[in-house]
Amino acid sequence: MIDEERIILMTRMASYEESEGKKNIAIGNYFRSDYLSLQVLKAVLCGSLAYFMLVGAYVMYHFEELMSDIYRMDLMGIGKKLLTMYLIGVGVYALLAYIVCAWKYHNARKNLKRYYNNLRKLNALYKAR
Amino acid sequence: MRNLLEFREYLRVFYSKYDVYVKPAGKFLLAFLVLQVINARLGYMDRINSISMVLIVALMCSFMPRNFIVVCATGFILLHLYSLSLEAAIVGFILFFIMFLLFFRFSSKDTVVVALMPILFLIKIPYVIPVALGLVSNPVSAVSAGCGVAVYYFLHFIVSNESALTEMGDDDMMTRFRFIVDGLLENKGMLVVIVAFAITIAVVYIIRRLSVNYSWTIAMIAGVLVQLVILLFGDLVTETGVSVIGVILGSVLALGIGKVLEFFFFNLDYPRTEKVQFEDDEYYYYVKAVPKVTVSAPEKRVKKIR
Repeated sequence: MIDEERIILMTRMASYEESEGKKNIAIGNYFRSDYLSLQVLKAVLCGSLAYFMLVGAYVMYHFEELMSDIYRMDLMGIGKKLLTMYLIGVGVYALLAYIVCAWKYHNARKNLKRYYNNLRKLNALYKAR
Repeated sequence: MRNLLEFREYLRVFYSKYDVYVKPAGKFLLAFLVLQVINARLGYMDRINSISMVLIVALMCSFMPRNFIVVCATGFILLHLYSLSLEAAIVGFILFFIMFLLFFRFSSKDTVVVALMPILFLIKIPYVIPVALGLVSNPVSAVSAGCGVAVYYFLHFIVSNESALTEMGDDDMMTRFRFIVDGLLENKGMLVVIVAFAITIAVVYIIRRLSVNYSWTIAMIAGVLVQLVILLFGDLVTETGVSVIGVILGSVLALGIGKVLEFFFFNLDYPRTEKVQFEDDEYYYYVKAVPKVTVSAPEKRVKKIR
């Protein structure tokens, strides 16, 4: 005999697993600190890559001036300026990544809690049979 | 109204019954449309500027995740730009690379907006997107909308200055590069539109989540007004030449699309709202329950008369 309640519960859970569930389960496998550290690390790497690309584009844009003035330039000063900009840019991006990922983690945990509750309910339905 | 509700139910049943075919067909159509528009607007590389190529890639997209459409569209754009000028391709690559690296990580769900935005700009209704995203998505979608606007303005600049780019000699590589970068960075109109769209998405999202009656309708009206004010004010300050009539008509259309979305996703029967209060050991609850407007799809019965 088909148990309607069980079918509804299983369908809902399967649909969740198919869509958001996969990502949420992957996120839920981490402790909060581990997940956030990993995401911030990724953000720092991506941010650094993007920064170097932008610096490359800047150099290309001002190539002629840079080549003609290279011996007259305060290279140490420029290096310091670039480093400061790098630290500020990547720092702000990493902070944003931290906030967004913390929010994602919170949501994933909340959804997973509901999912595990449903699992428990399903288990109870099987036992009650 | 009843007919519309029945139609919605028909659509729901149809979608749930045939979603195995509907989803790939939708992705195929979207990819086909996006790639065709790219070829029609840019079309500098003959090898990919053919309907057979578009069909093959669109067919591939129908079986891949939705974001693959954006990847293919990016590939098409870069190849066309490369055919026009290497510098345009380099600037395009940097732009897309930074978008993929920094922004799409956070809003991978609605990345497809980036591909849709240039198309909506072409048919003069981009103002629909922020209202729609604010209603059905979250504020992070502002990232995708902003990237879409940047892509459109970049491509628009390239197409408008196509002859200037080709007329520059081979020795003018740096000049061409500077010309394109300046065109992208000094485009104040683009910044105004990005700011307007981001604020509109946030306003619509915040208001539609309020616990007030007709929150979706209030949200879309407020969003459209905010968008209108920012765009017109931005136009006054930066003198970007935004078409006032175009913005107003686009905003009216945005309201129309918003109402359609509301009908499909948030159709509530406010006059039947119930407010109840109860308590347990730890809390006192103030509950507001608003019933959905629903009708069941009428079943067709075939009566056999002998």
